[in-house]
Amino acid sequence: MFSILRINTATGESSKEAFSSNDYLLGGRTLTSRLVNNEVEPTCDPFGKKNKLFFSNGVLAGTTVSSANRLSIGAKSPLTGGIKESNAGGIFGLRMSQQGLRCISLEDAPVADSGWKIVVIGKDRVELVDGEFLAGKGVYEKSELLVEKFGEKAGCVTIGPAGEKLLFAAGLACSDPHGVCSRYAGRGGLGAVMASKKIIGLVILNDGEVKAEFLDKDTFKEGTKKIVRLLKENPVSTKFTKYGTAAMVDICQALKVLPTKNFRHGILPGAEKINAQTMYDTIKERGGEGMTQHACMHPCAIQCSNVYPDEDGKLLCSPIEYETMALMGSNLCLEDLDTIAVMNRIANDAGVDTLDVGAAIGVAMEAGIAEFGDTKAAVTLMEEVRDLTPLGRILGSGCKITAQVLGVRHAPHVLGQGLPAYEPRGTKGMAMTYLSSPMGADHTFGFTLRDEDVPTSKEGKVELSKRFQVLGSRMDAMGMCNFVRYSVRDDMGPLLDLIKARHGVIIEETEFDDTVRETLRIEHQFNAAAGIGVKDHRFSDSFYEEEQAETGEKIDITDEEVSEARRW
Amino acid sequence: MVTLNFKMSSLGEVVLDAETPLPWRDVLQVLAADHGVGQSGIIAVRNGAVVASTDLILDGDSIDIFPAISGG
Repeated sequence: MFSILRINTATGESSKEAFSSNDYLLGGRTLTSRLVNNEVEPTCDPFGKKNKLFFSNGVLAGTTVSSANRLSIGAKSPLTGGIKESNAGGIFGLRMSQQGLRCISLEDAPVADSGWKIVVIGKDRVELVDGEFLAGKGVYEKSELLVEKFGEKAGCVTIGPAGEKLLFAAGLACSDPHGVCSRYAGRGGLGAVMASKKIIGLVILNDGEVKAEFLDKDTFKEGTKKIVRLLKENPVSTKFTKYGTAAMVDICQALKVLPTKNFRHGILPGAEKINAQTMYDTIKERGGEGMTQHACMHPCAIQCSNVYPDEDGKLLCSPIEYETMALMGSNLCLEDLDTIAVMNRIANDAGVDTLDVGAAIGVAMEAGIAEFGDTKAAVTLMEEVRDLTPLGRILGSGCKITAQVLGVRHAPHVLGQGLPAYEPRGTKGMAMTYLSSPMGADHTFGFTLRDEDVPTSKEGKVELSKRFQVLGSRMDAMGMCNFVRYSVRDDMGPLLDLIKARHGVIIEETEFDDTVRETLRIEHQFNAAAGIGVKDHRFSDSFYEEEQAETGEKIDITDEEVSEARRW
Repeated sequence: MVTLNFKMSSLGEVVLDAETPLPWRDVLQVLAADHGVGQSGIIAVRNGAVVASTDLILDGDSIDIFPAISGG
């Protein structure tokens, strides 16, 4: 049986229910999307009483399996107006399993002028305690205060000032293994959803006593070793270990899809100044607290994260991911890693998604608010977000709203969510994924780029995107890190065998993929009921009208093709 | 002569002295046999375009080869 803890944020009452269905068994996005679909009124106000915020770990959480403690968070999104699942590493998912929890649901909402509360979950208590002392503070300070109050080993989720003000790009910051809330479920404005319930922190104490149980312990142990072996042997996974996702800078530059100058270009002259090798060399050269490889959760055999130090070797930002390097770097024509790191740190402190705010700053630069390539101005704009100035609040609401306010037609988003770091006219597979995802533009949803023979052609991309939407969703579906997928891409058997050895439940690969497809169908069903239709699954018109400078390509994907890619 | 530039790899530059033109898939076989390079683990780019398995490699070509990872 798997437990869901329901907490009424208006009354403080809580209750626990237990289920044994495969939805609860798998957890992750499989569970959050079903719960959102089943329990949230699709047309509701995302900040109202009827929205619920679900936190779910996955089927192998709390075990020694590598990269299995991912946390999925689901709700109706204020940014897209549709269903949302955003996930993060860190220790929260592990702490949930140690309290015997598969899911936590934050429900209802108190009146608007209620004080901030922290939800505290321990082995013998669930309570809402005063959280006013956190109000208005940045995420780093909130992290320190949470550690001071609840201990370094507590699992925490918090929001930044941007979340407190209900900005649409506000994310949820989850504690890493060192007690710092630096692992972001950044997308979709879920930080603002938690804030709308007047919850400023969600804490699981490190007093859980539930240990993982195994039906066949020896087989599980062998299976765990097999996953590590597969990760170590896989050439793709091993590259993540050395360079992290930053390796994508050179790849995207070579393919002319590195977002540059508000997605006008696909090449940044000087991209080598912000690429993986430069980052690797800089971290090594500066030493100190810098780390070229780092685990966002334990255990993890991939360790794709990093710790980027300042010139004195002190931690400046951790992690810096490719998407941030592109949206807060190349897209703004910035050729300086230190500037990107500073912006990333401010974004983390403000509690906003680096992709949506990076895209918003690109739009602002196109509107003439600042010059592309101006490092000082870029940092100043991020500070405006953190300081909640009027312009900062606009930027913190994402690129769609920023474009509407500033009168920019070339707004890089789908369903209101900023485009990730792959210029879509140069990669029609990624374009198809952006257009057809129920979550808004999302690269993890169906990552086609590495498998496109002719990225600029739309031929076969409906099928390719759909294939990768299933492959990409497999890991979310069970609370695993997305980067494990390379090692089990052709054979999910090793993971499904672990489920059998732990729980005695046999799930065949075809059955598992059917569950993934059903999740996709449910997500689109929710969105349709929320009023999202064909016209919403489009880029801004300029992507269809204007050629991308280097590839000469426009978006030529039709509504019919997008509809086909959304049909499950 | 074909030059293969392995990016972010200890292989670095590999010069292939093969009779051209030949399909990229044949080059991949050589790379797999001589250097342990797996086809599914790389993206090959020539003049800004992805090299497909049936594309012909010509004398003097310079091809950049990247680890086929994804963003996070």
